[in-house]
Amino acid sequence: MFNARITVPPQAKAGEIVEIKVLVRHPMDRGGQSDGQGGTVPRKILNRMTATYAGAEIFRIDMNTGVAANPFVSFTTRAIETGDILFEWREDGGATYRRTARLSVA
Amino acid sequence: MISALRLSALLLALLTLAGLAQAEEIASGSTFLSPEMRRQQDDPNRNPAWFWVDQGEGLFARKPASGEACLGCHADPVASLRGAATRYPQVEEASGKLLNLEGRIEQCRTERQHAPAFGYESAELLSLTAYVASLSRGLPMSVRADGPARPFYEAGKAFFERRQGQLNLSCQQCHDGLVGQKLRGDTISHGAGTGYPAYRLEWNTVGSLHRRLRACSLGVRATQFDYGSPEYLALELYLADRAKGLPVETPALRR
Repeated sequence: MFNARITVPPQAKAGEIVEIKVLVRHPMDRGGQSDGQGGTVPRKILNRMTATYAGAEIFRIDMNTGVAANPFVSFTTRAIETGDILFEWREDGGATYRRTARLSVA
Repeated sequence: MISALRLSALLLALLTLAGLAQAEEIASGSTFLSPEMRRQQDDPNRNPAWFWVDQGEGLFARKPASGEACLGCHADPVASLRGAATRYPQVEEASGKLLNLEGRIEQCRTERQHAPAFGYESAELLSLTAYVASLSRGLPMSVRADGPARPFYEAGKAFFERRQGQLNLSCQQCHDGLVGQKLRGDTISHGAGTGYPAYRLEWNTVGSLHRRLRACSLGVRATQFDYGSPEYLALELYLADRAKGLPVETPALRR
């Protein structure tokens, strides 16, 4: 069950460096356990997260099996204009999840 | 000279008294966290347990296939269920059974909503329990250990004080006698369950107090009782009474 809590500052000045915090609900199952029928459970983790803002990719992280469940990521970016930051996660198996957060710049 | 001796003796006595008073005071599990973990716990945007509370809030409003949604009876839960979690476990008058919050929610679900039980430790029951308990955040625990609850309290106390398992340890030996000392990499707490259901880093997920108790039983190589078993329910009541006055912290973060 995917879910995300994204924290952006309520208001930013143009040119200001802002911190974006992202907490995600995901089991990040590294796989390899027995499935009880002679096989193994396949890996199912979020293997990539990207953030796009003002037409450019501002952040990307490739995650591997060493990342714990429900990963927390924080990064900084420069506030340019009022607009949505688009977050996208890519899961093993091809599913993607999207969330947006509004950054208002005064 | 004599007066100085007397003064130091008096001081020593006072210090000993203060030490004793401190030893008898029960501290919340959060007290034993590192400052960094405590900050993470107190920030809803960094404490993953809040996802379970969110899920519980959704379930609370959702109509099951049969019967009303929880919200149908418990309108405005933020006000009407505020403080409810501080009174559990409690004895249900009709049946004389001891029910904890999980048990009460399951009972409501099967008897009033006529829906199949979620099952102890299912994500749904954990979420609903975490949500209902989170409505009492900051309120002091105030379970009743007298009247019909007395025999359960006594059973829980006896369980806490009884040596058990291959290591022949009682709960009391560590959780009263060695509080603040290290056990493996962790600090021994008083065993106050005020933060449960809590997110444990060891589990990578939210779990119930009974799951934590099962881990304790395994640790001293004693019998692990079932989720919702009478033994753990009685112990939960005793622990809740020990933690009387401590604020509810659900959903907490634990190691």
